[in-house]
Amino acid sequence: MDLGLRGKKAIVTGATKGIGRAIVYLLAAEGADIGLCARTEDEVAQAVREISARGVNVVGETVNVRDGEAYKAWLERAAAALGGCDIFIPNVSAGGGMDSEKNWVKAFEVDVMHTVRGCETLMPHLERSGTGSIVIISSTNAVETFGGPMAYNAMKAALLTYSKQLSQHVGKKGVRVNCVSPGPVYFDGGAWELVKGTMPKLYDWAMKQIPGGKMGTPEEVARVVAFIASPAGSLVTGANVIADNGFTKRVQF
Amino acid sequence: MGSDEDFLKRSRSPAYTPVPRVKPADSPETPAEKHPDPQLGADLIDARRYTSREYMAREWERLWTKVWLLGARLIDIPEPGDYEVTEIGRESILIVRQADGGVRGFYNVCQHRGNRLRDCGLGTTGEGRSFTCAYHHWEYELDGSYRRIPDIDTFAQGRPARGLREVSCDTWGGFVWFTMNEKPEPLLDFLGPIPRHLDPYHFDRMVQTRDITVEWNCNWKTSVDAFNESYHVQGIHPQLLWYLHDLDIQIDCYERHSRYLIPFGTLSPRVRRPPSIPEPIKSIMKGAGMDPADYDGPIADIRGDVQKHKRAQGRAQGRDYSRLNDDQLTDDYHYLIFPNLSLNVHADDFWIFRQRPHPTDPDRMFYDILTYDLVPQGAEWPARVKHRDWRHGDKSIGTVLDQDAANLPGVQAGMHSAGFPGLWIGRQELRIRHFHKVLDDYIHGSGGRPAGAP
Repeated sequence: MDLGLRGKKAIVTGATKGIGRAIVYLLAAEGADIGLCARTEDEVAQAVREISARGVNVVGETVNVRDGEAYKAWLERAAAALGGCDIFIPNVSAGGGMDSEKNWVKAFEVDVMHTVRGCETLMPHLERSGTGSIVIISSTNAVETFGGPMAYNAMKAALLTYSKQLSQHVGKKGVRVNCVSPGPVYFDGGAWELVKGTMPKLYDWAMKQIPGGKMGTPEEVARVVAFIASPAGSLVTGANVIADNGFTKRVQF
Repeated sequence: MGSDEDFLKRSRSPAYTPVPRVKPADSPETPAEKHPDPQLGADLIDARRYTSREYMAREWERLWTKVWLLGARLIDIPEPGDYEVTEIGRESILIVRQADGGVRGFYNVCQHRGNRLRDCGLGTTGEGRSFTCAYHHWEYELDGSYRRIPDIDTFAQGRPARGLREVSCDTWGGFVWFTMNEKPEPLLDFLGPIPRHLDPYHFDRMVQTRDITVEWNCNWKTSVDAFNESYHVQGIHPQLLWYLHDLDIQIDCYERHSRYLIPFGTLSPRVRRPPSIPEPIKSIMKGAGMDPADYDGPIADIRGDVQKHKRAQGRAQGRDYSRLNDDQLTDDYHYLIFPNLSLNVHADDFWIFRQRPHPTDPDRMFYDILTYDLVPQGAEWPARVKHRDWRHGDKSIGTVLDQDAANLPGVQAGMHSAGFPGLWIGRQELRIRHFHKVLDDYIHGSGGRPAGAP
């Protein structure tokens, strides 16, 4: 199956590690041009170097997405450099924690507002694309209880509602909007590696919840995202696709 | 079977960038400079010294009855007649606050028929200010002299020439120290550099928060060794790799005592940088009054930023860090006061792990957990915790110490094996080698350890 990604222009935030990194490497392998950002300069430089080697156009910068103006300016620069934007994947997250009220502000500014600002800033480009597609990275934490009343979970839930309503709003302009909600994803330097090392009981519990006994890999999530983002996923919009190897237990009608 | 090259590739310690450290000139009180390493060779440390009853007897004769030992804390025995009974091997020592405010120590044994006068732990004579033996009611003054011997006229020989047998006592750091040595060197000579290193922490401003004795199924030295190196962190404390630097550790071996300085609040080079601040490092930030959710810098900067924050905020929090250097505000300054005190010393708390030998069994020991927290100036002085006695594995003593405790019986069992000649010690374990060298000096004297001796 040809996903139809060759020559498409994809902008992905937080793309030097984990899921974000797997997404840009896969999209580039499928022939898409890439605009990426992350916080750490040498990691951005390395990702740009490695992806360029695949023969696609790539632009990358260090951006703190909490800084709304700087972030929006970068999005415009990236779209201009790539000559448009067909795919937008807001992936950055502030992560978990419920030890401070500030987690709410941080999760709101990072998880919610960087997604909203990105969608609004890039929408004119996505409308011009003809195959415009947004895939928002949410989490299974939004649909089942996990880890306590964390800002992270509530903000990921906000993204589900925002995504659905945005999909209705921009559908007539030919832009699709979906969420992918990964369950636990394990990778070197990832959150679950930290949990395994510092909270082994929580890690063991999570492993027991997964019938197949394996956490996801960033590459597995990236394949789901790539399909939904691509023209091949043309019929899917307003969906929340769970990619969790059976970690969650609810029935999804 | 792989080649030597494969073996080395799998086994080499990871490269790392050194952690920033305070310059010696910026540490006016506790010395920060690296002490030259002693040249102690690379021999095996004979396993028999952990298992042999003969060696244990020699330790009693040449070590325990010669060194200065931690006895009591002065604020626990404030009034005349207040006392603490502490045990070491076969002996029980009674440390008593005197009428003149001084402190004296005695073997805790009635001169009549040998009965123990008081049980282990804290107590007071109250206003009576005397110790009466429960057996025939021989009664002693606080200074150990006789107050009353019932029916003294029925002893043709009169009363013994001496009252309670005294041991030498002295004080440092708010603690009473004692020695059974009849011709002891002064306590401060024995402690050497320790008071200069540790006085700036103001132990007198700290309240006791744990007072637990656990009987452990290992030799006392097996336990000393367990706290004398950081190499085991990657083995049995994997969670600490997201909390401390287990390779960039400054080791300083002095004449008898030693220390190492472990950077806290930073990642080990053995783990990858995680996407968020690890909970253990968050706890350090919270302890300093910082909000981790507010922190936007890289994890590698946290240790330095905690130091700056504590330096700036300490006084307002009632915490006087004026005599400490910056590294002392975050790091573990870990001391071994020879032979049996492992101290984790921090700006806001310190922990003493004391290893005491069993009276008769080289495969058992008593592990004391004594911890103390800084009481902010102006805050009410909290009540001290009560003492508890536990057996090995009875109860959790905290994740890290549980991990240490779970490991030790296996180590002790292995010491008895015909398949184990002795300890193969690496550079990260230099303090273990140093400890055993000092032990040799006590056991064998200036002549050194004879060939073939454990």
